[in-house]
Amino acid sequence: MHTTRRDFLRFSLAGSSMVALTGALPNFLGRAVANTPQPQQGGARDTILVVVQLTGGNDGLNTVIPFNNPDYVRLRPTLRIQNSLRVNDSIGLHPAMTGLHGLLQDNALCIVQGVGYPNPNQSHFRSMDIWHAASTAETLNEGWIGRALRHIPAATSFHLANPNESAPLALTGAPARVPSIATLDDFQLRLQASSASDRRQQRDLLNTSSRPAENPPPSLLDFVQRTAVQTYASSQRLSEIGRNYQPRVPYPTSALGNHLKLAAQLIDANIGARLFYVTHDGFDTHAAQAPLHTSLLRDVSDSITAFYRDMAARGQGNRVLIVTFSEFGRRGHENGSQGTDHGSGAPMLFVGGRVRSGLVGEHPRLVNLDNGNLPHAIDFRQVYATLLDQWLGVPSRPVLGQAFDAVDILRRA
Amino acid sequence: MFQSPQAINAQWAWQPYRPSAESPWDLKKAGHLLRRATFGPSWDDLQAALRDGPERTITDLWQGRSDAQAEEVYGTMARTIAGANTGPDGQNNGGQISSLWLYRMLYSPHPLREKLTLFWHNHFATSNIKVGSARFMLRQYDLMRGHAQGNFRTLLVEMSRDPAMMIWLDTVLSQRNRPNENYARELMELFSLGVTNARRPGQRNYTETDIREAARALTGWRIQNNEPIFREADFDPTEKNVLGQRGNWRGDDIVRICLEQESAPYFIAKKLFRFFISDTLEPAPALLEPLATEFRREWNFGAMAERVLRSNLFFSQHAYRAKIKSPVDYLLGIVRGLDGHRVAEAGQGGVGTVELARALEGLGQRLFYPPSVAGWDGGRAWLNGQTFLLRQNLALALTSTNDNRFGRRLDPAPFLRRHGAQTNAQQIDFLVRLFLQGDVSAATRERLTQYAAGAERATYPVYWTADDAANHRSRTLCHLVLCLPEFQLD
Repeated sequence: MHTTRRDFLRFSLAGSSMVALTGALPNFLGRAVANTPQPQQGGARDTILVVVQLTGGNDGLNTVIPFNNPDYVRLRPTLRIQNSLRVNDSIGLHPAMTGLHGLLQDNALCIVQGVGYPNPNQSHFRSMDIWHAASTAETLNEGWIGRALRHIPAATSFHLANPNESAPLALTGAPARVPSIATLDDFQLRLQASSASDRRQQRDLLNTSSRPAENPPPSLLDFVQRTAVQTYASSQRLSEIGRNYQPRVPYPTSALGNHLKLAAQLIDANIGARLFYVTHDGFDTHAAQAPLHTSLLRDVSDSITAFYRDMAARGQGNRVLIVTFSEFGRRGHENGSQGTDHGSGAPMLFVGGRVRSGLVGEHPRLVNLDNGNLPHAIDFRQVYATLLDQWLGVPSRPVLGQAFDAVDILRRA
Repeated sequence: MFQSPQAINAQWAWQPYRPSAESPWDLKKAGHLLRRATFGPSWDDLQAALRDGPERTITDLWQGRSDAQAEEVYGTMARTIAGANTGPDGQNNGGQISSLWLYRMLYSPHPLREKLTLFWHNHFATSNIKVGSARFMLRQYDLMRGHAQGNFRTLLVEMSRDPAMMIWLDTVLSQRNRPNENYARELMELFSLGVTNARRPGQRNYTETDIREAARALTGWRIQNNEPIFREADFDPTEKNVLGQRGNWRGDDIVRICLEQESAPYFIAKKLFRFFISDTLEPAPALLEPLATEFRREWNFGAMAERVLRSNLFFSQHAYRAKIKSPVDYLLGIVRGLDGHRVAEAGQGGVGTVELARALEGLGQRLFYPPSVAGWDGGRAWLNGQTFLLRQNLALALTSTNDNRFGRRLDPAPFLRRHGAQTNAQQIDFLVRLFLQGDVSAATRERLTQYAAGAERATYPVYWTADDAANHRSRTLCHLVLCLPEFQLD
């Protein structure tokens, strides 16, 4: 039996001592869920966005490859890919990405080439912040997804967390903090109790003792209290769900595969989940790039493909859109260490049942490079604007601060 | 940023703290000092600090005690691990070096030195995930530990030819005609300057061209027989223009040029500020100026760190509970609080650090495996829903008798008896003073009292004796205290 959204609501916090905190709680615990449009309702937005961050600067030139361009051969004497998977007569995918290549044939993969921003910054940390905040302002405090969530407060969101990872800037600014979760099994408070009633009393004590003061001054204690209250509530709710999920296709056993499987489980639980954020580290390939990059791209391709096929097998293929990005691409020419240094423009990949499959935009030129950096033709905020306006149903202008031309990523519904 | 940093008088801030009627030396300040300067106090540590006063306590912490026996045990383990694990990384040697350092943090007679070494590990964040050599990681650890209370310039020069760093940031692969920019970039961005000027926000400290030029100067370094060597043949001997200075620069020149920049002393002082004072207070340049001005003279990091520890600001409300405990501080704070390090002194075998190292991984602070070259974000980033629950569950694993991982050596029941805490009231009072120095609300204290009273009346399984029930109550009270939000604050 599936736990439905209604069952879920039954366990909601109405009447409990934590109602006063609703604004600070993940929205799937509050009343907002009641306003989430039902998938079967005509015209309702129930689209799901999964953002996959490739941390470290993915080598776009060896991901979406102009395989017969003589300049590519010149720039990459040892790192050039010779057996790429054909997209057309001039562009191929890295040979490790067989899964995504298969999705291309199923009309479920869109490749946007040459995405970046003017005056690219080549610090990992600064450039990542720029992508997260969708801004090049000096001080960046809010993320583009966090701001978007203010327009769709009922959209339940999850950060699928690695142990070493803090909540991403992209998610800050949301009306309620986005919970970070690694596995449903670990997302439980364990207690040593002599009886059910003892367990309940301990739980109550911690819940009550963690409640923040009314209108407290901002402080670290208040932050910890809110984290505690949110987490206790979320963990108790999540312990009720997701028990019936079985993947329809095998997932890779990698961290990324596990995170995307958890996303599928949370979608299957039908709690109004619409946004997922997951990161995949290791793309900073300054040296001995080839074997490392191959295994990274294989993982990305296999994990995303499994997730999409799992969703499609559940009839949810048209609801999901997976997007990959990296803080920058890498330098056109390889360095002397069989690696590549920090660069700029790079491709983004989009997977889902409603993408316009194939290539969008031209591959960046490989001559007259600015200090070896590939130029960009599409601003990443154009991509964000498209995702906001056309996929999430959020007006992009207030989120991004200005209007950006859309990119032809999605088929019209 | 919670408070207006302009409100803090920079002269007052760095003058030594002297106890006074308004700001007495008490349990709270002793706990604060021992949390920041060590890995958390035991009851005896707190009492000794109360007795000795701040000046002598800091002097003792700064000098440490010598413990030949502990050092010999450490040395034997380190040699064994380094000798046995020189190949590609595996779970095995990774876990071994992490637990080796934890062993030292837990049992060292000089914990402040380990604490500052952890500061440097976060600064020069190098991960064995790429280095793949326990030998090199421990060598880098020795380098940082050797200079932890010493000279920053020396440390930076040495770090530039440290084998683990050379592998981590690809110096060892950089070619004279096609230099690798990895180390040059992070030397400026993360190790010495930062991206933007410390005193003039918005102004960049260096350009992409500076990085490319510096990368050429940093060529020529290789590792041979486990030692760094400079090979002329691999060095780019032509002129470089780095940060406005032209010359045929080598690696040491680049370090010198970086340290001549205005931002350098502020950059390090600010990191130290965040480490010792506050996660949330953004120090104005004017507040850091007295530290930076002095630091720039000889790059005596130790003197700066000691000045901060002794300062008015360190013992003020600006610093008190103004940090989130790191996973290391959280876990070792529990172990040390429960006399886990003393159990070993009594010859009973201490808490195993292999399991502690594994636990730290889940909490996001795997030693010798920082998430990136920028180190751990720290502060609020330590806590999210998942890591928060893992912390509570690890506190349970450490204090319950249902979990074998930590050898049941921290059982709070006999611990509380040893410290003479018998009744519920005595136990609650002792635990709250030991772990929180009294920093909980009266309401929370009352709830603990109510819980304990209720537990005394509860029906237990028929096979439990009265002692079993009392012990269960002690363990549960201890776990509940460790789960209070207040315990997450450093």
